[in-house]
Amino acid sequence: MVTYEEGGNGAAFTRSGPLAWVFSTAHKTIGRRYLWLSLASVLVGMVLSALLRLYSSWPDSPIPLLGGWPGTPERYAAIRLLHGSLMVFFVLTAAPQLGLGNFLLPLQIGAEEMAFPTLNCLSLWLTVASLAGMTASFFPPIRQGIDVWLVSAAIFSLGALLSALNFCVTTIELRTKGMTLPRMPITVWAWFVNAVLSLLIFSVLLAGCATVLSDRLFGSNFFSTSALLAQQPLNLVREGSSSVLWQRLFWYFAQAEVYVAILPCFGIITHLVATFARKPVWQERLAVLAICGVGALGFCVWGYHMFATGMNPYAPLVFSVLASSLGMPAAFLLASWLATLWNARIEFTTPVLFAIGFISLFIAGGLSGIFLARHDLSQAAVSQDFVIGHFHLVMGVAATFAMLAGLFFWFPKLFGTRMNERLGRAHFWLTFAGVYCIFMPMHWMGLLTQSTIFPEASRMAVASAGESIRTLVTAATIWTVAAQVLFVANFFASLWSRKTMDSDNPWAATTLEWSVGSPVPEENFGGRTPVVYRGAYEFAPQHLSPELLAQKAQ
Amino acid sequence: MPGTITTEEIELLIEEQKGGGGGGTAPPAGGNGGGGDDGKKRPNRRVSPGRYYTGIAIGIISVLMFFMALASAFLVRRGGAGWIPVQIPWLLWVNTAVLMTSSGTLELASKRLKLDDLPGFRQFWLVTTSLGVVFLIGQFLAWRMLVKQGVYLASNPSSSFFYIFTGAHALHLLGGIGGLIYVACRNFEKAKVPRTVAAEVASYYWHFMDGLWLFLLALMYLGR
Repeated sequence: MVTYEEGGNGAAFTRSGPLAWVFSTAHKTIGRRYLWLSLASVLVGMVLSALLRLYSSWPDSPIPLLGGWPGTPERYAAIRLLHGSLMVFFVLTAAPQLGLGNFLLPLQIGAEEMAFPTLNCLSLWLTVASLAGMTASFFPPIRQGIDVWLVSAAIFSLGALLSALNFCVTTIELRTKGMTLPRMPITVWAWFVNAVLSLLIFSVLLAGCATVLSDRLFGSNFFSTSALLAQQPLNLVREGSSSVLWQRLFWYFAQAEVYVAILPCFGIITHLVATFARKPVWQERLAVLAICGVGALGFCVWGYHMFATGMNPYAPLVFSVLASSLGMPAAFLLASWLATLWNARIEFTTPVLFAIGFISLFIAGGLSGIFLARHDLSQAAVSQDFVIGHFHLVMGVAATFAMLAGLFFWFPKLFGTRMNERLGRAHFWLTFAGVYCIFMPMHWMGLLTQSTIFPEASRMAVASAGESIRTLVTAATIWTVAAQVLFVANFFASLWSRKTMDSDNPWAATTLEWSVGSPVPEENFGGRTPVVYRGAYEFAPQHLSPELLAQKAQ
Repeated sequence: MPGTITTEEIELLIEEQKGGGGGGTAPPAGGNGGGGDDGKKRPNRRVSPGRYYTGIAIGIISVLMFFMALASAFLVRRGGAGWIPVQIPWLLWVNTAVLMTSSGTLELASKRLKLDDLPGFRQFWLVTTSLGVVFLIGQFLAWRMLVKQGVYLASNPSSSFFYIFTGAHALHLLGGIGGLIYVACRNFEKAKVPRTVAAEVASYYWHFMDGLWLFLLALMYLGR
């Protein structure tokens, strides 16, 4: 154990004053701030999703934010955009990578700080600016709103690029003595692979935003519709020019963005499963390779999309093969989690529940993904609701479960106290039931009501069945949103009560962040360099003390 | 030599340092080309230079990716309807020569620095920076020439690409000039990086900008 004294070396170098507080460069402060940002975004985003459901069930009744505004369909679209941007950028991208990653990466590799703390601070504030911009884009008329949104997206890309650079360099350069690559916790691997992927895709999003903005503001011709559409196959033109272009532009980034959101979650889940099963990760090296594989293939799928945006859509087969081959590393990770859990004696604490919930959602969402990856099958299955159901199950909800698992697990590190277990479990079960009731029926809705596989005559009967399902989904949405009150209450009550913990390491985890106090002292390792002698998942038999096989133990 | 680590720097790599020395004022934050600079804490403890080399390498990859995205869009878009090739102004060739020369003078400056000839280093460094500024002015004048011919950003796809390639490159080069000025003006007595490292990192970026320009020019010339 490393001990710390009050008023040690750490305090002597801290600048004070409000400006220094705002522009703090400490990785722990920055990580926590990203988490606050995500918490605010996720709550707003969830309320918005409830509004969307209400509108789709009862389009004629007045609905807050929708009824009172002129031009309701446009408002509906604007709310959808805001919901999507908040959730994708500021929750899915920000929380697991920038929030937990910034806080934990230096701790887990035994570093005092990120490689470039000033850059880190800069990217935090770019992200804040982008959040402000995207929220503001909701209010003006659509045309100006989109411009503001594009500028915000560009700012977010810039921040994400700087963060990714920081993560890469920190992982490569700042690992402590003995922290060889095979000894790195899987979380670190996932953050690293994700940073590399972000580095590549966000520069392209930046280029995309710049060109589209220039088209919109200065009338340049990068995506000008008339010249472009001349080269298109006819079936793509039918929807009207600009929306097709918009979809393309969105997807070339969004396809890889899915993996950017999910990769750190893979890391967190693998880490938690091993820690709670008290067993090494099954086939750890292959699992790491699988994470790299998801990153690499995810990039290729995106690369395809970029050429598609570059206007050559004649390769559905290539896309299909690539998308399907992504299943292999993902399936391997799944096998690894299940094999690690096999025969393990697990205490079902909240983080474990959320981790297992993630695995369940991942399987469910992954299965429906197979339908979408097949380019021939998807013609029957693809309709809006099916895609929304699939995508929310995997990317939205599963990733959120991973974040919650991580939050419950690292809460003692972040804030020095544990979250309430009983409330946490109640929150888990209510949410778990809720999300299945939302997104599974949504798949049916997609297959039933909007698919073209039914003959014209029987559509009416199918549509009326769809109505009741739609109401069920809306009710389940309200239920799930309401259940989050438990989480918010738990979160703030735990912060408020500051119950002291029996141990700095309540989960008997081995990685370096648990070798220091909870919450983490200002100087992570007290100016000393920890030395690592073991892998991250070498657990002692139950009767031995966890200290014995911590990564630091000789 | 790029990437060579001198014995003095190896000292810095050794672990097990006990916390920082005394107090002292924190160095100003900032830094270009090489990434950032610790804003606070331990002014007397120099950090290992490895992070700056890795940082600039990764930064270069990221910038390259940005331009590759534009270049791939250019290649696909090329020759489509409404594509009227831009006549590359003659001034661009002069600018290219200026930028090439600046890379040469930068190398001379680095050599001076290796020989511990600080005034000589400063001289060549200043020449490089000025050549960079001259290049930027030249680019601006080339734009003026095109505008006089009636070729605007909005004229046709080809002209749009011409302006965005040159404009984005100029913006990135401006960052490089900022980096050069930073290295020239920084008081390295107090800094956490030795001058040699800062100069080397800045020069990597500069040479990259140089190569990138050649690539873009070739792309625009051959891809008309």
